[in-house]
This record gives sequence, C-alpha cells and structure tokens, in this order.
Amino acid sequence: MSASKAGLEGVQPLRRKEEFKVEPLEHILDEFPIKSKYDVVIIGAGPNGLMAAAYLAKSGLKTIVLERRQEIGGGLATEETLFPGYYTNPHAFYHMMTDYMPIMSDFNLQDHGLYFVKPNTQTSAIFSDNSTLTLYNQHEDTKDSIAKFSANDARRFGKVMRSWRKIVSEIIAPGTYVPAMSPIDMIERFEQTEMGREVLRLSEMSPLEIVEENFEDDRVRALMLYVSCMWGLDPNESGLGFMVPLMIDRAMNKAQCYGGSHKLAGSLSREILKAGGTVLDNAQVQRIIVDNGQAKGVELYDGRVIEANVVLSSLPPPITFGSLIDQTMVPQEMAEAANLWEWDKWSFFTMSMATEKAPYYQCDDPSVNDALMVIMGFDTCQAVREHFAAAIAGEIPRNIGGHASVETRYDPTLPRIPGHHVSFFQIHAPYDVPGGWDEQGPILANELSALWKRSCPNLVDENIVMRSIETPVDIETRLTSMVRGSIKHGDYHPLQMGVFRPHDSCVAGRSPIEGLYLCGASSYPGGLVIGGPGYIAAGSVVEDLDVAKWWSPPQYVQRYSAQYMSS
Amino acid sequence: MSDERFDVVVIGGGHNGSTIAAYLAKSGLSTCVLESRPECGGGQENTEVRPGFRIDPHATYLYGGAAPGFDQLELWKYGMRMVYYASMAGVATLDGQAANLGGRWRPDLGDAAIKRYSPNDLEGPGRIFDQLGEGPSRELLRALFWTPPFPEGAEIDPRDMPWWKVFRQYLPNLFFDELVDMSYVDFLDNFVQWDPLKVVGAFGAWYCGAHPDWEGMLLQSLGGTLLYSYASGAPRGGMHTYAHAIIRCAIANGARVMTNAPVGEIIVNNGRAVGVRLSDEAAFPEKTIWADKAVISGVDVKQTFLKLVGKGHLDPSFTQRVDDISLKGGSLFVMSVICRELPRYHNKEEYFPQDVYPSCVIAPADSFEYFRTQTRDAYSYKKPPELTPEHLTMMICTHDPYDSTRCPDGYHVLSPIYLEVPPPQYDVTGAQGINRHKEEITKAALGVLRQLAPNMTEGNIVDVFVNTPYDSEFRNAGMVGGNWYGIRQSEDQWFSNRPLPELSRYRTPIEGLYLCNQTSHPGGLCLMAVPYNLMHILIDDGIANPGSWWYPSPHYMKDLKPTASISRKTALETDVVK
Repeated sequence: MSASKAGLEGVQPLRRKEEFKVEPLEHILDEFPIKSKYDVVIIGAGPNGLMAAAYLAKSGLKTIVLERRQEIGGGLATEETLFPGYYTNPHAFYHMMTDYMPIMSDFNLQDHGLYFVKPNTQTSAIFSDNSTLTLYNQHEDTKDSIAKFSANDARRFGKVMRSWRKIVSEIIAPGTYVPAMSPIDMIERFEQTEMGREVLRLSEMSPLEIVEENFEDDRVRALMLYVSCMWGLDPNESGLGFMVPLMIDRAMNKAQCYGGSHKLAGSLSREILKAGGTVLDNAQVQRIIVDNGQAKGVELYDGRVIEANVVLSSLPPPITFGSLIDQTMVPQEMAEAANLWEWDKWSFFTMSMATEKAPYYQCDDPSVNDALMVIMGFDTCQAVREHFAAAIAGEIPRNIGGHASVETRYDPTLPRIPGHHVSFFQIHAPYDVPGGWDEQGPILANELSALWKRSCPNLVDENIVMRSIETPVDIETRLTSMVRGSIKHGDYHPLQMGVFRPHDSCVAGRSPIEGLYLCGASSYPGGLVIGGPGYIAAGSVVEDLDVAKWWSPPQYVQRYSAQYMSS
Repeated sequence: MSDERFDVVVIGGGHNGSTIAAYLAKSGLSTCVLESRPECGGGQENTEVRPGFRIDPHATYLYGGAAPGFDQLELWKYGMRMVYYASMAGVATLDGQAANLGGRWRPDLGDAAIKRYSPNDLEGPGRIFDQLGEGPSRELLRALFWTPPFPEGAEIDPRDMPWWKVFRQYLPNLFFDELVDMSYVDFLDNFVQWDPLKVVGAFGAWYCGAHPDWEGMLLQSLGGTLLYSYASGAPRGGMHTYAHAIIRCAIANGARVMTNAPVGEIIVNNGRAVGVRLSDEAAFPEKTIWADKAVISGVDVKQTFLKLVGKGHLDPSFTQRVDDISLKGGSLFVMSVICRELPRYHNKEEYFPQDVYPSCVIAPADSFEYFRTQTRDAYSYKKPPELTPEHLTMMICTHDPYDSTRCPDGYHVLSPIYLEVPPPQYDVTGAQGINRHKEEITKAALGVLRQLAPNMTEGNIVDVFVNTPYDSEFRNAGMVGGNWYGIRQSEDQWFSNRPLPELSRYRTPIEGLYLCNQTSHPGGLCLMAVPYNLMHILIDDGIANPGSWWYPSPHYMKDLKPTASISRKTALETDVVK
C-alpha cells in the first residue's frame, strides 16, 4: 500500500546491552521491590498512558505507570537537545486539542503551572516572491490575508469555515472522546442530520478534492493542502476526508505549552502521585504476563515483577502482541492484525538551532514573525502534492520545503541564556534513505539551512550558537514505540482508523485478551496528543472493574452521544 | 489564584531544595518548590544529548548511601533502585601501567593489581573501609556529613569532634593526635608508596570536596573516599532517577513543585522573609508567593544574599564577607564521549576486562607532582590552564557496562570525564575565558586519552559533548563558579565555618530565611545531608514537627543561647503588606 513496511518487519527486537550484575553483599538502602502488586499497571508514560493513569489513580485504584525512558512524557518531551543550555520540544511542539481535551477540566492542571499560549497569528506560508498568507485564530483576520490572493477564496473561506467549525465542535472533536462507532452505525446515524451527511460526503473525498472544491487560488490551495496533510494524510486518498475540516480548523487553534510540552506530562504525573499512584521510570517492560488467557501483570527488564488486575498498553500492536506476549496466548486474528500493521507513511527530519537573535522573516508582512509555524517552499498546490508523493514513495522531498517554528517566540523559558532563541525546521522524510541517515542527515541539514536563510537572512553563522538534527531513526531511538519514526504509532488510512484502529476485535480500548487494554496512539482515535485513547480506555477499565466513575464527559461530548450514539 | 500562600516556600528544586520540601511536606507543612528550569534535580541530572545516549553533566555516583533520608523519606516507594558495580575504580599511567582497583564488592581485584605494582601498599588507606565494616562506616560518615554544625560558642577539643570521636571508638589503634592537624597528602606520604595510588587517593579526595592539600581536612578527604566506597554504584538509570524519587516523594506528600518558575526576589519585610517574587516570565499567574513560616533558599549563598535578598537589607560588612567567600576548588570541565569501544588501556584488554571494567578510571596518574601542578594551575588567579597534557589528570567514568539504560547496544558513553580547571570568576581574561579554550582543552584531553588507550581514535569516537564551569553556571543557576560543591570546602569554609560562621546553622540575618544549598555544610555530593541537618534547626525553631519516622543526629548540639532568629515573631504580626 505505501512505503511503510508492514507490522512486525519493522519492529526492532527490544534489545538491551548486556549488563554485568553485581549482587551487593550487604543491605545498602531500600529499593523498589522485586515483586509488587497493583490494581492497574500501565505500560508507557506517554500522554495517553499518563492520562489513563491520572483518571484511574484518582478512581482509587492502586495504579503504576511504567516508562522505559528516564523521562516520562513520550512525545511530550522538553529536553536539552542543544547541549549545553538550550531546551527544545523534540516531538510535540504545539497542541491542537487543548480546548477540547477532557483532562483540562477534569483535573486542576493549572495548579502545576500548566498554561497554553494560543496566539492569534497561527500558521503562515511564505512564497518565493516574499508574499505571505497567514491563518489566524480569528477568521476575519485570515480572510483579510486570503483576500490578498483571491477575494473569492476569502469569502468562500468565511462560509466554509463556519460550517467546518461546527462539524469539528459538534462531531469530530466529541467523537474523539467516545469509543469508535462501526461504519454501519455511523452511516445510519450521520444520515439523520445535515451536518452528519456533510461529514459522510467529505469522508468519501480526498484532501486534494476537498481543497480544490473550496479554493481557487493556487497558493491558498497549497497552504490548505499542506496543513490538511502534514500530520499524515495522503492528499490523494479518500476515506478520511472528514479529517480535513479538523486539520484546517486546528491549524488555527494551535497552542504552545508554556515551559515546554513536558509540562503537560509533569502536571499529569503530579496528579497521579497526589492520588497515590506510582510513576516508575527506567522500567522497560520485557513481558506481559498472560495466564489462562488473562493478563496478570508485567515483568521488567531488570527482573522485577509487577502483578496487576488489569494491564494497559500504550504501545503499538506489533510490540504489544508481537513481542511482549507469549505468541501462544495471542488470539489468531489479533496476531494477524499486529503482523499486518502499517507504520506511518512518512516520518520527520528536524533541524534545531540555538541562536542569539530569533530568525527574522523578511517578507511582505512582519506579523509572520509572530506565527507559531511558518511554511516555506510551496508556491503551488502541485509542489505540495509532489512533496507528499516523494515522502510516501520513500524519498527525501528535497529542495521543496517544510515548516519552521521559533519555539522561544511564545516561550522564553527554553534557553538558559535569557534572550537567546531556539527554533526548528522540519520536513517530512522517510525512514530508509540511501547511505543511511548518518550520511544523509548532515547534508539535508545544510540544505534546510540554506532554504531557511533565504527567508530569514539573519540566520548567518555569527548568529547561530549551535545546531542539532533529529532523523527518523533518532525518533525511533529516543521513543522506541515510534517504530520507523511513526509519530502516530501507525498510519492513518481508512483500514487503520475508526473501529479498525488497531483492530475491530478491540472495542473501547479492550483487547481480545481479558484484562489487557490498549490506550495508546495506535488505538482509536489515534495520535498527535489528542488524549482520546487514554481517556476511552480509562472509562472501560472503571466500568469493567465496577469502580465508581468520578468523571463525566464534557457537555459537548454528552450532546454528541445523545444525538449520534444513544439507542 | 490571587493569594498564593504556603507554610514554606523553597527556592530551587535541586536535590537539596527538593529533599527539604519532601521532609517538610511529610511533616505536614504546605510546601512549594520553585525551580527555574523545566526539570528539577539540579546537579542530579542526565541529559539525552543525542537520541538514546544519556550523559551525566554533573553528579554521577551515589555517595549518599549512608543518608538517613532514604529510610526517612522511604524513597524506595518512589522508584529508587540501584545498580552496583564490580569495579568502582581503576588507575592508568602514561608509562604503561594500569590497575583495576575493584571496590567494595570485589576487593580481590584491587588486591591482585596492587600486589603486582606495589605489594607494600596492600595495607594502605583503602583498607580503612574494610576495617570499619558497614555499621561503623555509616556512623563515621554520618558524623562527618549528617551532623549539623555546632552552635556558636561551643568549645570542642578537635579530637572530640564527632568524626574523630567515632574514628577513635572504632579504630583506636590507628589514631594518634597528629592526625587531627594533617592534610590528606601528609597522610598519603606516610602510608602510600606507589605514586599512581597516591594520585587516586588525592584525586578521589579532591573529587569528594576536601582537597588533599588542605590542612586539618584529613578525615573529610578520607570520608569522601568512604562515601564513594559505601554504596559502590549509582541509581539505576543515572542520578536523575534519584532526583525523581525525591521529587515524587515531595509531591506525593502534598508539596507543590513548580518548574519554569525562576525567583527574582525574596520579599523581606521588617527584617523577616515573608515570601518571594517570581520573575515575570515564570509559568505561574501569581508572581508573588507568600511564606507563612519560612523561606528556604536552595540557591547558593552568594546569589541568595547578593541577588535575591539584596544589599538593601544587609549590613555592608556582611555583604563583603559573602562576596569574599572563596569559590576555588571544584570547578569542573566536563566532557562526555560517545564511542563504539571502551578505552582499552595500553591496548591490553586484560587490564580491564569488560565484566569487571572499572567504572571510573583516574589517569594519567604517573606522578604525584603532575597532580600538584594541575592543582596549582587551577587554583591561582590566572588565565585558563596551561595545557601540559601529562598534567591533565582526568576522572573517566562509564556506567553502561553495568547499567544498560545509558546507551544502545554497540556503543558506550564515557561520561563524565572530569578535569579540574580554574573557577571562571578568577580567570583574568574574564569569566568566559574558559569557553574560548573549550576546543583546545577538549583536544588536549582527548589526545591524552588516546595516549593511554590507543583505540580511542577518531573512528571510535562518535560524539563529544562538553560543559565548562561557565556553561554549568548558566545551566544550573545555583552552581556558582561551575563548582560542583559551590564554594571551597577547606577548613575555613567547613562545618561551623560554612559558608560563614554566622550562617553555619542554616539560619540567616533575615528572620525566617534559611539556607539549603551545597554552599552550607557539608557541601556537595547529593547526600541529602544539608536538608537533613537543616531539619534539626527547623524543628528547634518550631517550624517543623515531623512524625515518629524522624530521627536526629546523635551528635546534634542545640543552641547554647537563644539567638535572635529563635525568638521569632509570628508571621501575622509582621506581615503588614499582605
């Protein structure tokens, strides 16, 4: 189907170095026990694992969340990748669902200093003649910008966004926090409302068709197609068209976590600890213990055993079912699904820079320098199509373009030298490249520097303190669940979305193995720190363990459930 | 959120700040920790500078094994786990020698090596730990480090200081009066013949804070080596895991731990610290945070008074004394090297076989004079060190043979590699002087490493990361001078003199303001000792009232006369601005 290799082929065996063990002769200090018992054990302290843990710990269940790395957070990482002295957000840099995620109202995360900055100037495109097009949070501002290129498109944008915004807030966003509906139910229910029918109509279209249907100017189309597809949609594939309104709406609703994305992870872990839960790092799970068809706990790489009534895995199916569980215990259809799992159709290559002065874009509109993200290199819709086609074909989309952000524009806390800046330039890239990334990485970084400097003439050597790169292989090395650099734990295509994510034998986070739940980005509704999988799985766990559910869905989700899901 | 108010506000979420917060939260006080960085832990950090590779920019071993804190705070509940090493130390010289000294769990390794090079040294100072054994070692260490300095006016015969008392009790045959006035070097000169072994001892002492040449610090120097031998390992995953356990303990006990929250000012009202003001960019809406019972500064003594309190609240003689506190001694040039093969000293694998590879190699250790030259270089007011490569004695550490979390299969991380350099503040070319020589020093050090281990070629080395003391100072705001123990740890700035006699009991001229940073006794090394010692004072001052889990130092001496800060006014009486 695509360049991404199927399931198990891509999984690196969970290989650790040999450790030379020494047993101390005398008692030195008390350590975390060799054997322990919990109600709930959660594998992976990424956003979904932490969210599930926060809900379950607060339910009174004795909960432990295990993280392979030393830092929790998974993609919610803020680390000193520009050493010494400059923190960056090497994965999730902005958050697209802060206004919808139930955790924001169910927990008092602001108590821990969690604040999101959602600026008005959101996403800009710079074209080769230095003209710019900007998507603002405020629609009328966006219309003003579009009108520079096409008065018709500006008007059309105003009309279509009114409709799409409703689709997002009344269907797509609430659908993120309830279990997936079967296609048959979905068609039956959605057919009953006008908005539902529009969602069904859009679903059958490709992103390119939707963009072409609504906009006529090539540069407007280029930007709209880029933001629709940049996180993993194929411009030409139909079946997931309902995501286009979401991605375009969210391109105007990006929020940056002040103090770094890790702050969200840190705030959730504080909630877990406050509720009596445990967070254990450097705790790679070697095995999920399944006995008589029932998940009973996990074994860590250092030999520690944690027994539990339920096990939640946030890892993708090829790891959960392919390498952590004794194969004789995995139901045939689940084993096959894991084996057929497709990784993301592309990964990312990111170059980060520490500079004395912020990159300054010289263009027709200085407000571009306030944008959370600037897209460069695409003058035509065709260029965007070629860019994604190259990435899907497994090639580096060279000399075309990508997106950049000045991370310090809205978060001055990242550099340890006050007044300095960190920024990044990112492009879509395949996992496999000829010669390997060790060879290609530095070459590509130089090309991106040159491209960036064309728009930001102040990116001269004297201004640059240091530079670092993160290749698709690096992504996988840092976060091993992102196999082949799959930031979403698996491709977005119609057969891996909805009830099929990860497989239709998994309903509402329940796996076919009793006591084993799935709560990661490879489960419905998917990745990108939207918080759905963890929230849905936590709901199923309290239901199955017959524990009082202390939270109730947000109003907008309840309205959706009443309209589309109640029988 | 208009009125943020806690019993205690702790400035700085390094391990000292986090630990006192954990102690106080566990004592039932509402506690808030304010950390300027995105991550707490201070010097207890591991940084994934390259995906999959974790380095130790500062602290690297668990010296605090004898700390009461592990037990009192029950850090095991919050994930504390250890990795123990077969061999803690090795030594190598440029002229072809290399000895695996083993450690607490494998003394046979050291015996065999020393027998080969210097049989007479078998009964040297390394034996002291063996002679003492587990319990008495802990007692001696606790006397040295986990005992609050004596109050003003206490007149104690030096032989009766807690550490000598314990030493005399357990090793009566080894004690003679002259020891009290000795430096560690005097002691080594008397007891050790083989120069490389003397360098190891001296370097170990320096690395534990008390420089071997400083008079009257023999037991403190030796104590460092004992601390190192006591746990003989590191927290699983690295020192930051230890920080996580402390912070999680604080949070689980109800403390609020705020990151990205740099403090700009300690609010002093009527001579009393009543709260703090955060910098405008802090990730917190309310920038003024009130402390009803105490403000505890986890920041170094210089910044605490000169920057956060400000001269407006201090008498000029005191300000001058703070300004004059010596920073010399612990400024580190830290390198981290990612490589495919571990250094193979003199190309002989049998010196250090991988299953007993020494976690820390001190080299080149040819001559004690070299070590002294380097020390003189680092301690004078001058330009960056003259790079006579054979004088660059290094401490080359690696953890991954014993702890697989540090890097992927097929690679190794040498981190940290410590080099002693002058404090940036005393560089006559300016504080940034050392950074202008960063590449030159790195190159020289790697050249020496290659002389020792010919396999450390360019092809073997994948990446090198460096933090100079200047870098360390801006990375870790409290690490003044890039000095890992803050301020000089000589007799003039130790125990009842640390950082100044009137500040040694952790109280300050500002009522309600206490010190909890490594610039107070007993200094650095992630011992949880400063907060443990401070707890005694907070209990006496009526601030903390811990439960039955608390036990004090058996050597603790209460105040001899009531001091100004003991007769505290209540917060409500003084707090007129609120």
